[in-house]
Amino acid sequence: MTQSTAEIYDLDYQHYDGPREGRSRAVRSLWVNSFRTVLGLGRGARAKILPGLMFLFVITPAAGIVLLASISGDSDALLSHEAYYSLISLFLLLFSAIIAPEVLIPDRREGVISLYLVRPLTIVDYVAARWSAFAVVAFGLALSGQTLLLVGFLLAADNPADYIRDNWLDIPRFVAGGAVVALFITTIPMAVSAFTTRRAYAAAFVIAVFVISTSLAAFLTAETCPGGSQLQEGVVVGDTQDCDRITGDFAKWFSLLDVGNAPIQMSNMIFDKDPTNSNERIAAELNSVVRVAWYALLVVGPGALLLMRYRRMSI
Amino acid sequence: MTGSQISQPLLEAKQLTKQYGDTVALHSVDMGVYEGITGLLGPNGAGKSTAMKLFLGLLQPTSGSAEVMGERPYENVGVRARLGYMPEHDCLPGAVTASEFLGHMAQMSGIPPAYARTRAADILRHVGLDEERYRHIKEYSTGMKQRVKLAQALVHDPVMVLLDEPTAGLDPGGREEMLQLVRRTGRQFGISIMLSSHLMGDVESTCDRIIVIEGGEIIEQGEVSQFTQETRTLLIDVDDRREQVLAALGQRGIDAETEGHSIVVLMSADEQLDDIRDAIAESEARLRRLALSRGQLTDIFRSGKR
Repeated sequence: MTQSTAEIYDLDYQHYDGPREGRSRAVRSLWVNSFRTVLGLGRGARAKILPGLMFLFVITPAAGIVLLASISGDSDALLSHEAYYSLISLFLLLFSAIIAPEVLIPDRREGVISLYLVRPLTIVDYVAARWSAFAVVAFGLALSGQTLLLVGFLLAADNPADYIRDNWLDIPRFVAGGAVVALFITTIPMAVSAFTTRRAYAAAFVIAVFVISTSLAAFLTAETCPGGSQLQEGVVVGDTQDCDRITGDFAKWFSLLDVGNAPIQMSNMIFDKDPTNSNERIAAELNSVVRVAWYALLVVGPGALLLMRYRRMSI
Repeated sequence: MTGSQISQPLLEAKQLTKQYGDTVALHSVDMGVYEGITGLLGPNGAGKSTAMKLFLGLLQPTSGSAEVMGERPYENVGVRARLGYMPEHDCLPGAVTASEFLGHMAQMSGIPPAYARTRAADILRHVGLDEERYRHIKEYSTGMKQRVKLAQALVHDPVMVLLDEPTAGLDPGGREEMLQLVRRTGRQFGISIMLSSHLMGDVESTCDRIIVIEGGEIIEQGEVSQFTQETRTLLIDVDDRREQVLAALGQRGIDAETEGHSIVVLMSADEQLDDIRDAIAESEARLRRLALSRGQLTDIFRSGKR
């Protein structure tokens, strides 16, 4: 007699009696979903292009610097960690302006948010999960170039141990600088995204804010030098002792209008870096407490707006 | 009182009031929703959606309380893990597959990932989307999207689901299929349902109990059968000689009126049936129908309007 291998399956509705992990699982799931959305994971190739390109743009300067350092054998002579965020800030801002709206806007536009908010999580949980997932990616993006730079310098150094001993402080500094930059580039685009259901409008608005504020600050802090030349934002050439600012002593305050410069100012303070261009130099004339407070306002203000907007949202 | 009413209510409103500025959406509402399928019936703007949102914890009551299994969902979001909700409006992402979306929604209700995938597959099979589960939702028809909306409300095996106008936007065939699915969910799956609708037919054919809401107040609640039982009104349809029938009834002291093509008699005693039979026979009319009328849910609005 042969033994049958057939099995009978009960295809009727089965109640679920497995584990239920409540709010913590809901928040983790939303966080993972946000993280995947930012990187375009689990979606078509088009969704991965922009994050991939931005990653490339952020690490390419580091790769170039490392290459030059290995050829010349002199890492000190080249751009280092302290100036790297200033170099890649444009790409980081572009990344956040374009990708951050992807994390928040579709939920409201497609109505999925009404399904999320009847699950076991609060509106604050929702915003925090979406916000923090983007911030982590932004932080990783900011650190990726710095990490490549560090590894390259280590490999190019005659004695890596000596290099680390002499430059170890750069590591906590660029980590702290990366956190400062990530917080900034996450919060502003997220707050803007809370007020529109069009991703393109949010991205355009954020880019416009940075471009207009930079231009306005450059105009209001411009210097007129003897001989008629006018220095605006850019590398300081020669002695500028005799130059007059068109807004006089107020110029240092007007320099704050360049909101995109706020995290770079913080990074410079963390690295104890001397200003290298006129805009940084003018802003550096302000007390460091003022600059920190301004940065904090630019992060906390939009963050509060973001939360307030969602708390008052009718579903 | 039925057996279902003896148990504790799954949803309970006590003196529940919700105001938006000066507008009162719900006024001092007391109601209980028990196991089974309960219809929340009322015209647009009656306060049905507001009541649902209060039970889901999306809104904070102005006064009174909305409780789900003894918990207040606005303050204790954990209880929402045992509730499902199918909104009336569009709420589905287009660029993901139904399988992926349901797995995510199960996790959002607290189910671990490994179990969530199984639950998603099972529920999609139960709502008839087994073959289509790996297609992007944007490629689905309206009827299929409604099924996904129902599936996401069931994927975590809730104790109760709140369905807001589940047949909205469906053609007659799709509507009947959706109602069958709702009945199956309530009767076969054993998941209690609160179904909000402004369509009496949907409620009458699907629900065990009914709560009628109008202008933010409860105007009736009870078993559906209680509202659709036989009345004391006798309907007489004849093909001809209607005037003669009316005259014969009058001769026997029976008050009768015409309503459309029917003759309507409000009976005071069963003995009148003999006189009515004799009156029809005497008039030699061809009788098509002689029946006691059944109550209709529309009668609630006719009598309950205030």
